[in-house]
Amino acid sequence: MAAALTLIVVLGACAKEQATVHLYTWADYVKPELVQKFEKENQCKVVTDTFDSNEAMYAKLKAGATGYDLAVPSSYMAKVMWKQGMLQPLGKDRIPNLAGVDPEYLKIAMDKHMAYSAPYMMTITGIAYLKDRVPDFEPTWAVFERADLKGRMTMLNDMRETIGAALKFLGYSLNTTDEKELQAARDVLIRWKRNLAKFENEQYKTGLASAEFLAVHGYSGDILQVQEENEGVVFAVPSEGTSIACDDLVILKDAPNPDLARKFINFLHRPDVAAENTEFISYLCPNSHSYPLLSQETRNNPTLFPPAEVRKRTEVIDDLGADNAKYTKIWDEIKASR
Amino acid sequence: MKRSHFPLIVTVVVLAFFYLPILVLVVNSFNASRFGGTWEGFSLRWYSRLLREGEIWQALENSLLIALSATGLATVLGTTAAMALHRYRSRLQNAHYALIFTPLVVPEVLTGISLLLLFVAIGMDLGLFTIFIAHVTFCISYVTMVVLGRLQDFDFAVIEAAQDLGAGWWTTTRRVLLPLLAPGIVAGALLAFTLSMDDFVISFFVAGPGSTTLPIRIYSMIKHGSPPLINALSTILLVVTFSVLLVSQRLIGGKEKP
Repeated sequence: MAAALTLIVVLGACAKEQATVHLYTWADYVKPELVQKFEKENQCKVVTDTFDSNEAMYAKLKAGATGYDLAVPSSYMAKVMWKQGMLQPLGKDRIPNLAGVDPEYLKIAMDKHMAYSAPYMMTITGIAYLKDRVPDFEPTWAVFERADLKGRMTMLNDMRETIGAALKFLGYSLNTTDEKELQAARDVLIRWKRNLAKFENEQYKTGLASAEFLAVHGYSGDILQVQEENEGVVFAVPSEGTSIACDDLVILKDAPNPDLARKFINFLHRPDVAAENTEFISYLCPNSHSYPLLSQETRNNPTLFPPAEVRKRTEVIDDLGADNAKYTKIWDEIKASR
Repeated sequence: MKRSHFPLIVTVVVLAFFYLPILVLVVNSFNASRFGGTWEGFSLRWYSRLLREGEIWQALENSLLIALSATGLATVLGTTAAMALHRYRSRLQNAHYALIFTPLVVPEVLTGISLLLLFVAIGMDLGLFTIFIAHVTFCISYVTMVVLGRLQDFDFAVIEAAQDLGAGWWTTTRRVLLPLLAPGIVAGALLAFTLSMDDFVISFFVAGPGSTTLPIRIYSMIKHGSPPLINALSTILLVVTFSVLLVSQRLIGGKEKP
């Protein structure tokens, strides 16, 4: 009987054949009121399902799960999915609002011509510190050299981000495959490691909020959350440049409703919507038409709008294919060093 | 001889180990702080925000629907399987046992991905129904194991006595067999319900559009969401669970003590 009940519920859900777009994304990644607005304007339904990592989402779709229209992978994963034929061409001519996508961003994006993806939300990596405790802070990666902060700093436990920081410090590209440059970065990190409490991806937020750590290497989105709690936290973008990451909107190959998916992308890039969304989730939707609509406070936030000269030195972490092994090797050496 | 304090200490340590994390969670659900590292004052903001989170409630609804229906079917199938395995011998007895044991020992990832491949291969749309099937699959094993355990020390003489006294098959089952097996069946059903509510790995793979369950939702909140919302939700669930347990114990206790 219980089975029959479930069946009825499932069939019932399908019977109300209203146009539906299925979104597969991270939790809390779009302002709920905006979704309702889209549903009202287009007389349709948006069904959101969530995943917790790019890899989990990829594994599931790769195994053949269907029914989703739109997914929101990070750029590197979008590229992998495109290469493997899991996506359909974006058809940007049919999404007029994409004309507003920030050309500055597209220069460094992986999908420069928006062939298969539209940028959704952008985040940068930087250093957050407590302004009362580190009054003489300079926005540079060299902060990890400081012996007076020994044991009160963390860096990300992420191979590409952390080696990337050292490469940027040395003035190299964070996508370098040059052995000499990588070895130099390794030596820098081994030196820095002596000053670090640990390599950390999650706990550093709590640690910074409670002043256990004084300076941390972290993602801008995370730091904005900490700032809500501790007003003494400042986010700084190192002058040597840093890494930028973007989550992209992609349409899956067997999307049941690709046209509605395009409408949804168009909606998310409508200047007023993009601005409202940016204000709400504190990441930046790189749509330059939306920038004038943002509040002054947001416009002046260096977390979202780093200074132009820093932006120039900022790169997207690219998938290096076979050369990834070089990074793995020196990362192991760094982790093993004392 | 002086009585050792050792058992007492061990008990206290074990209880603390079990319940301290839950206590921290409950306390933090009232903490205004987002990270729970420091106490920022008493607040109900997570509860009020939780009330406005439609997607979480939808996920809870999906989870409950699946857990209740999967438990129902798995209990019936599992109990019958246990009786059949216990009463009748066949040449395939060992094979049957193996079939029951397998879902208990196969890693969840394997179960999840192979069920997904199966559903994709037969062209079944992923959704609540596929999660339901997957949950029934592993719940049957647990129910069967628990009921089998109960049957091990079941005295079949009482069944024969009932039949001697003229009770038919149906009366025997209803008045003698089921009441005696009830504790095992209930225990199996509770276990199945908990496992189904809790399952993440298998559900993640076989879930389709629009069928996000609570554990999937919770995991995916790690990146952008607010973990304190989950503290609040867990506290509510704890209160509900404890009240149900309390009420049911009252009811059962009231019956047994005349």
